[in-house]
Amino acid sequence: MTDPILAVSNLSVDLKREDRKRRIVDNVSFSLARGEVLGLVGEAGSGKSVLARALVRAIAPPLDIAGGKVVFEGRDILTLNPRGLASVRGNRIGFIGANPMGSLDPRLPIGNQIVEKLRCVQPGIGRTEAREKVLDLLGRVRIPSPSARFHEAPFQFSGGMMQRVMIVDALASDPSLVIADNITQPLDVTVAAQIIRLIDNLRQSLDTAFLFISSSLPVVAQIAERTLVMQRGRIVEEGRTADLATNPQQTYTQTLLSRIPPIWRDVTAPVATTGEPVLTVDNVLRTYLVRRRGSFNAYNEVKAVRDVSFTVKAGENFGIVGESGCGKSTLTRLLAWLEQPDGGRIAFLGKDLSHLSARSLTEMRKSFQLLLQDPYGSLPAGMPLRRMIEEPLLIHGIDRTEAARRAQEAMAEVGLDAELAERLPVGLSAGQRQRINIARALVLKPRLLILDETLSALDQVEQAELLDLFTRLQATHGFSYVFISHDLALVRRMCHRIAVMYLGRIVELADNTTLFEHPHHPYTRALLSAMPTLEDNRFPRPRYLLDGEPPSPIDLPLGCSFRSRCPRAERDCEKTDPPLLSLAGDNYAACLHRHMAPHEEEVANVE
Amino acid sequence: MFVLSFLLRRLLQGALIILLVTFIIFTLLRVVPGDPARLIVGGMAPDEVVAMKAKELGLDRPIPMQFVSYLGDIVTGDLGTSFVRPKSGASLGGASFDDATREERAKVLDLILGTLPMTLQLAAVALALALLVAVPLGTLGGLYPGRWPDKLALAIGSICVSTPNFWLGIVLTLLLSVKLKLLPAIGYRGFSYTILPAIVLAVEIVPFILRTLTVSVAQVMREDFIQLAPIRGLSRSRTILHHALGNSAIPLINLLGVQLGMLLGGVLVIEFIFDYPGLGLLTINAVLQRDFPLIQGIAIFISVMFVMINVLVDLIAMTIDPRLEY
Amino acid sequence: MADIVQEAAVPLPVAKRGVTPTRRMLQIASARTDFRIGFIGFGLLVMLAIFLPLVSSIDPTKIAYSSKLLPPFPAEGWKWPYLLGTDQLGRDVLLRCLVGLRYSLMIGITTVVLMFVVGCSLGLYAGLRGGWVDAVIMRLTDAQLSIPMIILAITILGVSRPTVPAIILVLGLSGWPLYARVARSVALGERNRGYVLGERVLGASDLRIMLLFVAPVVLPPIAFVAVLDIARMMIFEAILGFLGLGVQPPTPTFGNVIADARKYLLNAWWIATMPGLFMLVSLTCLNLMGSALERARNAVLRGEA
Repeated sequence: MTDPILAVSNLSVDLKREDRKRRIVDNVSFSLARGEVLGLVGEAGSGKSVLARALVRAIAPPLDIAGGKVVFEGRDILTLNPRGLASVRGNRIGFIGANPMGSLDPRLPIGNQIVEKLRCVQPGIGRTEAREKVLDLLGRVRIPSPSARFHEAPFQFSGGMMQRVMIVDALASDPSLVIADNITQPLDVTVAAQIIRLIDNLRQSLDTAFLFISSSLPVVAQIAERTLVMQRGRIVEEGRTADLATNPQQTYTQTLLSRIPPIWRDVTAPVATTGEPVLTVDNVLRTYLVRRRGSFNAYNEVKAVRDVSFTVKAGENFGIVGESGCGKSTLTRLLAWLEQPDGGRIAFLGKDLSHLSARSLTEMRKSFQLLLQDPYGSLPAGMPLRRMIEEPLLIHGIDRTEAARRAQEAMAEVGLDAELAERLPVGLSAGQRQRINIARALVLKPRLLILDETLSALDQVEQAELLDLFTRLQATHGFSYVFISHDLALVRRMCHRIAVMYLGRIVELADNTTLFEHPHHPYTRALLSAMPTLEDNRFPRPRYLLDGEPPSPIDLPLGCSFRSRCPRAERDCEKTDPPLLSLAGDNYAACLHRHMAPHEEEVANVE
Repeated sequence: MFVLSFLLRRLLQGALIILLVTFIIFTLLRVVPGDPARLIVGGMAPDEVVAMKAKELGLDRPIPMQFVSYLGDIVTGDLGTSFVRPKSGASLGGASFDDATREERAKVLDLILGTLPMTLQLAAVALALALLVAVPLGTLGGLYPGRWPDKLALAIGSICVSTPNFWLGIVLTLLLSVKLKLLPAIGYRGFSYTILPAIVLAVEIVPFILRTLTVSVAQVMREDFIQLAPIRGLSRSRTILHHALGNSAIPLINLLGVQLGMLLGGVLVIEFIFDYPGLGLLTINAVLQRDFPLIQGIAIFISVMFVMINVLVDLIAMTIDPRLEY
Repeated sequence: MADIVQEAAVPLPVAKRGVTPTRRMLQIASARTDFRIGFIGFGLLVMLAIFLPLVSSIDPTKIAYSSKLLPPFPAEGWKWPYLLGTDQLGRDVLLRCLVGLRYSLMIGITTVVLMFVVGCSLGLYAGLRGGWVDAVIMRLTDAQLSIPMIILAITILGVSRPTVPAIILVLGLSGWPLYARVARSVALGERNRGYVLGERVLGASDLRIMLLFVAPVVLPPIAFVAVLDIARMMIFEAILGFLGLGVQPPTPTFGNVIADARKYLLNAWWIATMPGLFMLVSLTCLNLMGSALERARNAVLRGEA
């Protein structure tokens, strides 16, 4: 190995608040070779983002660098004079953060901003030269029609496209090191997988080293040869990523690994059950009107939910998965009857909700409850816990003593300490807050619980605890659950049957085993292939991962709406928009070529 | 194309607002006590004369009908005729009913347009003074929250907002005009007469600019793209001048649009104290003389200005920030 | 960047046990120096205004030519107890200021309460209901914002008789649109928050959601800033008085006292200047409190504390 381009030794950072002092980065040492991709994994709060900023000396009070060296290309960044620092930051070291949408001035064209940056760090470059370079890079990160998008402002980009822009921003000055801090965290799985594939391709041609930081070991494993594991500010383990994944030495790494839910290896998928139908959704439609930009009185139709039908049976766990913009949040609002469908029918226990009187609707509301994602926003801040849990009963006119008794029962059942009863929710953990929400739903003795990303704000341990609670409640009360989630692993573990949504529509509806092991829709396969996992992916990315992003829901392609990205699209797909077509068993896929075996497919575009 | 449709939308909305304003002020003046007909002909006139005058002016018709015909006049640009003001200009509060000059009343629109330039001059000088002081101070306050520029901005803002404008006018007249003889104060005989009222008006505007600017600059400075700028290699001065200031200007521009009403309120009192012959003085005199057509006309005129300035403000904000287009 | 400090701060032991955001705002504000200065200064003045006229042997409206035009404290010829001097009719300027402060405060506070109640209830309702209710209320506020408040006020008071209830009503009714706008925009934001959706799913009515859940969250932050408006309304009251449209003499208010004393500006400067200065000091105290509350509120809403 040649000289490392970055050598960090004994780096420490403190957090100073009034009289307290806490070490956030503790005596960290590592090095990075030219062109290498080094992974850095740690949970939220492990200090990895602070470390990333310390490497470019972007540390401001209350944080403070307590000691150590960061030797980059032979010079210690921590002791450089301002001029020297300016010649390194943004020039020799590029930085990409976790918030692509907020990383550039929201008012100005992205192209100009990258040119501005490039000319700041390399004053020798002329305006035209810089412009051409940026345009070239925009093309290389596969942003469609770069010369037009050069002049667009950040708000006109999607998150994934904007992250590509930020990659261009970091690479424009030909840096020898790029620090990528959690760059895939806000992105959807397929978009994140595309970004990782892109970086992998770029670094082979550019000879740039990457420090790739993430909270997920499977994500890092897709790109880094070597990985550091960080826990409470310390590097606890370092080694080849493959070795870490198969043979971790430290208990902490072992714990991290044990928390990664399995997808294919040693899984016992829940088997579909039979029961009375509880919720029936028939050809439900929901369209929003959005005023067209720059027009006086013209509206665009956004078809958020199109022709969705499914049934949830008693005691069943039904999963709905899809990426952002697929219509699952609109569907949630419809299922919870916060909005009414423009067409179709939602029936609960056999009764069409749109035909109910206001009074019987209120009565009916007792039987289906919604649990939301954000545990912080979903509770009124100024109310004691007991009162919050009594609230649903009071709404439905149950007297106070009875309400108090049932609230107490519910608290015990969801595992909330009785002494919390008079406390306000401030300072409670996310998990405890979700327990309150569960208790609030529970007191009404519902039949169905709709879980809208309910667990995604929780850490792995809290998630596991709540999943156990859900299973227990199901066993005692016979609940049905609808899990709405972007988390495939969660759905794999919990759901009997699963619907995959794309552009407002269910493209595949199948039982757990079929969906994960023999999916029939190419989009399902693409989703599975994008999943970060340490297992051997059954659907390897070079073959199944999709290119590009979904078309706008305003301007759907004629025929099959997946056609524009489908690797096996044919003539007939342009003419017919296939509904859910039945397969063996109770499984369906919205694809004309659903019986074509996967291996006959053309290989997806490789970037 | 885009700008046109935007203008069309906003002007339609504006027309609705103006209609509402006209309705409110018209009704208000009809339901309050005080008989305008008697006011015109003078307190001493016999009842028959008053009744005749009322008939002549159409004041005996039902209020909705009066309103409709008034609206018709407005659309053709006729805001009516003052009850008490003669064409010559001077006010004639208590003229007797058989005074020959009484017939020659001034047009409301002429009165307004005649005094408007004076008020615009005053407002422009005051705004320039206020911006000159408040923009640098407010920006510094936002850049160093919790440090001395911020504290200074807060202190100055608190004192300015606590100063009654009429009192400041009196004190400054006493000090600068009477004692030190630096600036003229009462009436208007040249540009120098604008300065003292403008200072008083500026003191009233400064705290609003300070408060908005410190908050918006401080907020922009916390945004990710500003925090990331040094890591991307941009210098601090460049970041502040090119990115932070541009983004914090929008709340300020919006504020100027919304607070226009307040600004005009200040103008009113200040013109009264300094006997400055602008729209404000005209308004106060109109109220004191119960000159209903003039009050109505001024209120409508101001709401038209308000609507147009707000459209302008939105257009400016849109050129600064393309996200605001819709 | 804020998130990394936050991330770093997660494992710190959380000391704030069960404190509501409103309490937290008050705690932060009361720890600020400017709040303390304002609070103590204002408290003292209010105490004086309440109690001094009660215990003092001097009547603020009684004419006493024997002690007319006495200069204020440090100037030559001043006399105990006339700290701020006396006016052309021998009345004590300090006492007249204190009585003026009483009226001013009373009118200011009632006005703001009125504005707050009317504006916030309409605004909250508009924000939660949306649709045509929202459109109507918002166009109304637009219209009212486009007529300068003071023109409206002097027009009404100029043509009718200015009594204290009339003044309060006029100021309060012309000030509500700003509150309606703020309350509406916050309510719009809250409408899609989890706890509101949660209530809807549970089957709660709009009114229940608004009064029991949204109002307690949304109103305290707005009320904090309303303190600044009390000062603004006190100035308006003074302006009305100055124009002769406020509380009528012989009751002394800041406005009518200063207007009256203008005539004596050259030979007795203090009669006009002292009440203004007195007002400036009391309003500065009030504004310091108000802006400290505002900043504390901003800090809490940003999630920094």
